[in-house]
Amino acid sequence: MNPVLEVSGLTKQYDGFRAVDGLTFALEEHTATALIGPNGSGKTTTLSMLAGLLRQSSGTIRFNGAGNDPRSTIGFLPQYPNFFPWMTAMEYMELAAGLSGLGSREVRTACEKTLGFVGLGSAGKKRLGGFSGGMKQRLGLAQAIVHRPALLLLDEPVSALDPAGRREVMEMLKELGESTTILYSTHILNDAEEMTDQLLFLRNGQMIEQGPLHEVRKKYGGSGYRVLFADRKAAERFAGAAPWDANADGQAVTISGESVSMEELLRFAAEHSQGITDIGRASIRLEDIFMKVVEKP
Amino acid sequence: MRQFSLFLGKEWREQARSFKLVWVPLVFIFFGALEPLTYHFLPQILESVGNLPEGAAFTLPEMSGADVYASLTGQYQTVGLLVLVLAFMGSLSGERKSGTGTLLYVRPISYAAYYLSKWTAAVGLAVLSVWLGYGMAATYIVQLYDPVPGFPDVVLFLLVMSVWIAFAVTLTMTASAALPTGGAAGAALGILFIGLMIDGIVGAYWTWSPWKLQAYGLAFLTGSPDSGDLAGSLGVTAGLTILLVLSGILLARKNASKAKV
Repeated sequence: MNPVLEVSGLTKQYDGFRAVDGLTFALEEHTATALIGPNGSGKTTTLSMLAGLLRQSSGTIRFNGAGNDPRSTIGFLPQYPNFFPWMTAMEYMELAAGLSGLGSREVRTACEKTLGFVGLGSAGKKRLGGFSGGMKQRLGLAQAIVHRPALLLLDEPVSALDPAGRREVMEMLKELGESTTILYSTHILNDAEEMTDQLLFLRNGQMIEQGPLHEVRKKYGGSGYRVLFADRKAAERFAGAAPWDANADGQAVTISGESVSMEELLRFAAEHSQGITDIGRASIRLEDIFMKVVEKP
Repeated sequence: MRQFSLFLGKEWREQARSFKLVWVPLVFIFFGALEPLTYHFLPQILESVGNLPEGAAFTLPEMSGADVYASLTGQYQTVGLLVLVLAFMGSLSGERKSGTGTLLYVRPISYAAYYLSKWTAAVGLAVLSVWLGYGMAATYIVQLYDPVPGFPDVVLFLLVMSVWIAFAVTLTMTASAALPTGGAAGAALGILFIGLMIDGIVGAYWTWSPWKLQAYGLAFLTGSPDSGDLAGSLGVTAGLTILLVLSGILLARKNASKAKV
């Protein structure tokens, strides 16, 4: 596969400190990559450099298949998009689409379609000054995708939204991900888990871990099983009786995937079925990986 | 060209919806009406205000139409310039500070189209306001004063003034491209007013300068200016304006990275 974006040794030096320090990674076509890290780890600076807002101190950024101006192949959504309060949503979209090079004839339909896609179909004539935070975020997404960019750069696309809004935007991103390459930063790890092919962990501007989700998962504990019980006592009894490595934690017992097969576990559980309410596979959560990676010396 | 017209449409809408399109011309029209009326009715005003000691007498100078134009020009050189600088000081820096510019700068825009659209809208509004202001003054001057300058001379004067106003607005725009809004206002006002002061004090030593344009323009109303000096000053001003436009475009591009993300 051909990477859409190749970044090598990307560094941003400010007086006295490096906000971004030697990042190297590539984005394959039509994949979603999550840029994860604590506050101040350089996520926004990285995205700003990729979007062409900031010039890197050193390193290279290569867009494959982009014309003279790589900005025409990018859609960018900042964490808090700012709009002209005196404009209407439709006027803004038409300006954005026109500036990104859409022909005058396609502008109108593209804008209507995109506003509809992000759920602002009926807000086209509203002034942006009266938009709520959630509506601004949606319009932010709309202006980023209206010219159908090959690469979407999203800075914390769902962090400012309520759970319902978050769900909707995640669904939109998943749909977009089928035809677009997406790089997004987030600290909402449940969401990242849902829509990520590749993970990039940043800390203090450095890449401290990267790789496909399943590989990172394997590296930090892999998968196992989780058995749920009606009460804590039953869980403890089960863990005590089990012949393999089993940890009781409240009403749940987790069992490492390396020590036992599903078949063996089920056979054992059939004999000790008292109090079991649920049994299944459990993989290490991204949140746990995040804590391990970030705290890694 | 497409981007220029898109940007110009945006500027036009912004001027209309922020009411700049109304209040900037109104300020100039207000002074344009006030100046000829005040001078004409000054004796009556003083009388009705009263409080004058018994037997006080004034000899007010007999004002000609050209004198009123000159006096109004004095107002525009202070209050008028102040209003123009305040109206346009944030046109680029404001979009960086608020972050509204960010979503423009990440698109494949031409900074020349970006700057020039703002420049066109601002210079257009400023020159229009100045013409409307003098136009207002002219309607009173022809009725209340004698002798009045001929129509072609007033137009020549206004053309020269327009070049000066365009220079002042360009300076403000480029300052706004270079600096944050506060600094831009300070720099533009500083250069304009200090320039006027220096030209007023030691300006006898040179004849080509943007700051002299108003005087050369006014000379059309009483006679005619030295054509060499006028041409030289127009040339210098046009040259400086072009330089300011070019550096404004470069600075707008360079400072895009300072936009709030």
